[in-house]
Amino acid sequence: MKYIAFAAAMAASPALADQAVSINFAGEIAGKPFSCAETFEGIGAKATAVRGIDYRVFVSGAALIRADGTAQPIALEQDGKWQLDDLALLDFEDGSGGCSTGTAETNTALRGTVPEGEYVGLAFNLAVPFDKNHGDPTLAAAPLNTTAMFWNWQGGYRFVRIDMVPVDKAADGPKGWFLHLGSTMCPAASKTEAPTAECKNPNHLPVSFAAFDPATNAVVIDPAAVVAEADMTVNAAETSPGCMSFPGDADCTTVMSKLGVPYGDIPAGAQQLVSKR
Amino acid sequence: MRRLALWAGRIGVAGLVLATPMTLAAEPYSWPIPAWMPAPPVPDDNRMSTGKVELGRHLFYDARLSADGTVACVSCHVQERAFTDGREVPVGINGTLGIRNAPGLANVGYLPLLTWANPHMSSLEFQALIPLFGDNPDEMGNNGQEAAMFARLAADPYYQTAFSAAFPDHATPDLFTVTRALAAFQRSLISVDSAYDRFKRWGEKDALSEAAKRGEQLFFDHRFECYHCHSGIHFSDNLQTSRSAFAEKGFHNTGLYNIDGAGAYPANNTGLMELTGDPADMGKFRTPSLRNVALTAPYFHDGSAETLTEVLEHYRAGGRSLADGPHAGNGAQSPLRDGLIVGNSATEAEVADIIAFLESLTDPGFITNPAYGDPWPADHPAVVKRVLP
Repeated sequence: MKYIAFAAAMAASPALADQAVSINFAGEIAGKPFSCAETFEGIGAKATAVRGIDYRVFVSGAALIRADGTAQPIALEQDGKWQLDDLALLDFEDGSGGCSTGTAETNTALRGTVPEGEYVGLAFNLAVPFDKNHGDPTLAAAPLNTTAMFWNWQGGYRFVRIDMVPVDKAADGPKGWFLHLGSTMCPAASKTEAPTAECKNPNHLPVSFAAFDPATNAVVIDPAAVVAEADMTVNAAETSPGCMSFPGDADCTTVMSKLGVPYGDIPAGAQQLVSKR
Repeated sequence: MRRLALWAGRIGVAGLVLATPMTLAAEPYSWPIPAWMPAPPVPDDNRMSTGKVELGRHLFYDARLSADGTVACVSCHVQERAFTDGREVPVGINGTLGIRNAPGLANVGYLPLLTWANPHMSSLEFQALIPLFGDNPDEMGNNGQEAAMFARLAADPYYQTAFSAAFPDHATPDLFTVTRALAAFQRSLISVDSAYDRFKRWGEKDALSEAAKRGEQLFFDHRFECYHCHSGIHFSDNLQTSRSAFAEKGFHNTGLYNIDGAGAYPANNTGLMELTGDPADMGKFRTPSLRNVALTAPYFHDGSAETLTEVLEHYRAGGRSLADGPHAGNGAQSPLRDGLIVGNSATEAEVADIIAFLESLTDPGFITNPAYGDPWPADHPAVVKRVLP
């Protein structure tokens, strides 16, 4: 009986055994912190100068890793705004300047708790999990009611939205090069109905660092290496501007493997979007 | 049946029109929205009440809000046209032409920013000051003459009880009460019962024609990219509900003009740049809602497209080319055109299907709902000199 009472007391006050954890993220382009006012030089196959007009990503399933390799999920603070269950929206744009579809608020860290203990690494997924990805966004709680991250019910959300615009645009060329990662080929009867089973291309982007100290390390997101072989000044006819994950887009052929996902016949490579420092 | 039961509640609200202002004061406000729809956000200093909405409706239709008694809000926002006026630009007092197309008011309470391109116009209360007191252009012509306007209202027997019913602690017509009542009425203008809503939200599979169903799939296809900007319950990337963590806004240059080859718009209509001063904001206008869009012609910020076919032709070309005149230029080549507008190869049949889908966004109940209609008898001083479009 004594033991049960003790266990109940522990369950009732888990805060006693928890420690706060904050995982800081840096959103960058070619090594420079993202800013709606900044110009980023030397992007893509033609070393194009671009401005950034949007920069947001979803992170889910974040966990700290113990020395024995076991994962301890981070219990995210439920702030009613950026973090919902184990999902968070990171937002590096502040709605200023060219970011005219953005929001003034930014969010650059995961905030939560883990049981007190020794942790050595970090893992997370740059994705919205399937069970949250195809619901009705008008009914969803924040941040899943953010229309800027929404495709349609069949496709779900954009996990990564990094919108770049060349400074010098050819008169007949595209006016922007947009990197959107999300699930494709989801089996649904209509573009506005949720799929009945997991998408053929979930396009989740799992990330893990065997060594990561939240006190001194930060996660760095940077699309420069991902688009290194893509030309920011062209867009394949009849396709989305830039690479939006959709099959059959010539603008994606050098890009998706560098996001760590397969694309048509092209196998997945090592992801080059996310690193740590 | 569940839909009918739910919407019966709206008829109940409309029925209250016959009640006296004093009894309305005690009525809690009930949003005319189905369960799936979050309510609009409401400012702390302007909570909704049935009495306030009713007062706002009377003010909305009252031409004594203009200096010469000819212009009411309805003079540019007519219910049958989903609260637009059918003109390229509105006509204010003394025949003064407006600068931008009168926007529709369906679901306007969900917009974090009002008007076409003003990043500071963040409440309906604030926005009401512009038609009332603006002098470039003159709309209702009260600049410097607010005392006379409030005196006209205060003399009317209806308002003598209606203001105290709506604002028990602040029972006179003045800047605070008039703007708040107008805002409360506009927040009550909810349109979520189109054929498309019945198809999508209520499972009425035969509510849409086959053409509209095909058009829906095209609208939400990345080949046309319509939904990148016309997204969400309002078909606009400008949205704020009572459940939103923050306001979402979206301004875009759609390549309507390219006067100088560098993306210039006509000098009197430069969009967001007019207020931000940032040259990169040239030609950026707020994405309009597409609800009831078939009723709100002409289109674009300056009313320069007469039909939806013309609008879709613009997007097919990825911009508008004007061969001659002072605004000549090829908008598709504008360096400022939004990158999401890429042009497309839509066939005539596909364009017809998309238009059928857009027509399915018309809400017949919205444009006939008596709760949104003119409350004044035809011979009342509020309306005897009123000009309608």
